[in-house]
Amino acid sequence: MARWFRFARAAEAPPIVPMSGWSAPLTTLASAAMSFLAVLTLIAGLAADRLAEDWRQDLAGLATVRVSAEPEVLETRVMRALEVVRTAPGIAAARVLSEAEHLALIAPWIGGVEALEALPAPRLIDLTLEGDGPDAARLQSRLDRDAPGAVYDDHAAWRGPLARAAAAVGRLAWAATVLVMLAACAMVALAAQATLTAHLDIVRVIRLIGGEDRYIAGAFVRRLALRGLAGGMAGAGLALLALAALPGSGAGGVLGGLLPGTFGWIAIPIAVPLLTAAIAWATARASVRIALGRML
Amino acid sequence: MISLDRVSFGYDERDTLSEVSIDVPPGSFHFLTGPSGAGKTTLLKLLYLDHLPRRGRLKLFGEDPATLERRRIPQLRRRIGVVFQEFRLLEHMTVVQNIALPLRVAGHRLDDYQADVMELVKWVGLNARIDAYPRELSAGEKQRAAIARAVINSPDLILCDEPTGNVDPEMGARILRLLIELNRLGKTVLIATHDLGLIRSARGGVGARILRLADGRLTLGAAEL
Ligand SMILES: Nc1ncnc2c1ncn2[C@@H]1O[C@H](COP(=O)(O)OP(=O)(O)OP(=O)(O)O)[C@@H](O)[C@H]1O
Ligand SMILES: [Mg+2]
Repeated sequence: MARWFRFARAAEAPPIVPMSGWSAPLTTLASAAMSFLAVLTLIAGLAADRLAEDWRQDLAGLATVRVSAEPEVLETRVMRALEVVRTAPGIAAARVLSEAEHLALIAPWIGGVEALEALPAPRLIDLTLEGDGPDAARLQSRLDRDAPGAVYDDHAAWRGPLARAAAAVGRLAWAATVLVMLAACAMVALAAQATLTAHLDIVRVIRLIGGEDRYIAGAFVRRLALRGLAGGMAGAGLALLALAALPGSGAGGVLGGLLPGTFGWIAIPIAVPLLTAAIAWATARASVRIALGRML
Repeated sequence: MISLDRVSFGYDERDTLSEVSIDVPPGSFHFLTGPSGAGKTTLLKLLYLDHLPRRGRLKLFGEDPATLERRRIPQLRRRIGVVFQEFRLLEHMTVVQNIALPLRVAGHRLDDYQADVMELVKWVGLNARIDAYPRELSAGEKQRAAIARAVINSPDLILCDEPTGNVDPEMGARILRLLIELNRLGKTVLIATHDLGLIRSARGGVGARILRLADGRLTLGAAEL
């Protein structure tokens, strides 16, 4: 029995291609770096997309027309202004705020409702915009003509360019993620070539004693994929730790809304290493098979 | 088993082998001789499918490797056991791992072959060295390990390139006896050597043919020993 164990261990033990050289730790290190970068670009992409979406939605509701006039003509001016905005393109709906709503809105800025009641209060029309909203200059000139004292205020419009910028940043981040993945492919292909070249003598012997391409490729591919997985886990873990350590990354912190939710904290460290390993597997397999295919 | 019909091959523009024709029937025993650099190893390389002929036709086990589907070539190679001139043992594996490698590569469970491997190891006199690495072996020990690896898979065709180049005459004679024994069991054996003493000592043991290579051309030597 003891002899059997000794034989089984002795005859089977080493991989057909030895583990040696620099390409092994370098592959792990490079996978870790790639997955670290991939996590960061991925999260940046998600955050930028979310920010752009939030800002776009804010933009939709936040324009008003403020009408101020002598008390006698105020109601008619408000009705005229309503007429104008209802027929203007880019405005989905318009609604006159009641006096109470209006007071509630501005009271904090003035110092109490009592102080306000004495003032001749303007009236507010709340607008729901659609698309890119109305052309502000044209709308204002129509208001000036039909309802003097009515002022169109798209105070949220400054967010439009921001939303577009955020969307562009998001696209950049996604492009960076894709580039990191491509770089990972190139790196694994190079590592596979280097390993194959370093062990060409062994590969030749194994072929000559009847080893199939699949068998030989498997020896390289399994190892590179495992290294991709190990490096990927380390890199993704470090990236998440680094993000968690950023000031303001807590639930209420300034970055809280930008970082992934609970699902992301669980999904990313699983998905990115698996993706890294899958890339390592597929790339190594393809490049080793191509190289072996050139031999008889 | 093997047939070459006007086969030529070269590493550069000139032909190392030109218009070589032979027919090696199943169960036969051949010596391939010739001066150093004549192309003995080159001819064996064509036979174990390291290279394809440049011109002419090679048939192995009735198949033409030049037209054979690529994925079937490993199967053909598994029917051939090769003792390489420079042994080509894998340096990161021990003696027993090297000897068992063809079984492993062919997808066999090594447990099923334990007795075979150990018997062969003992037969080539390496049972005390099974856990040694090739770099720790003498040239003769490497040669014996290479022979064991060549025959472990029970191949139909055994090709040996100077199988006795590094051993004393007594071990040389033992190796020859093993090859003759395998030939009696029906294996086809082809030995490249310029050791005329080896060829002479085979006399009486086996009906061998001698092939002589010179200047890239093959001639049939004294028909029988
Ligand atoms: N890989 C190679 N590339 C280029 N030329 C080669 C190569 N291998 C062998 N040759 C040349 O081919 C010729 C035949 O070599 P080969 O090794 O077949 O001779 P051999 O008969 O086996 O000699 P030896 O008895 O010394 O082993 C020689 O001139 C050699 O220099
Ligand atoms: Mg030679």
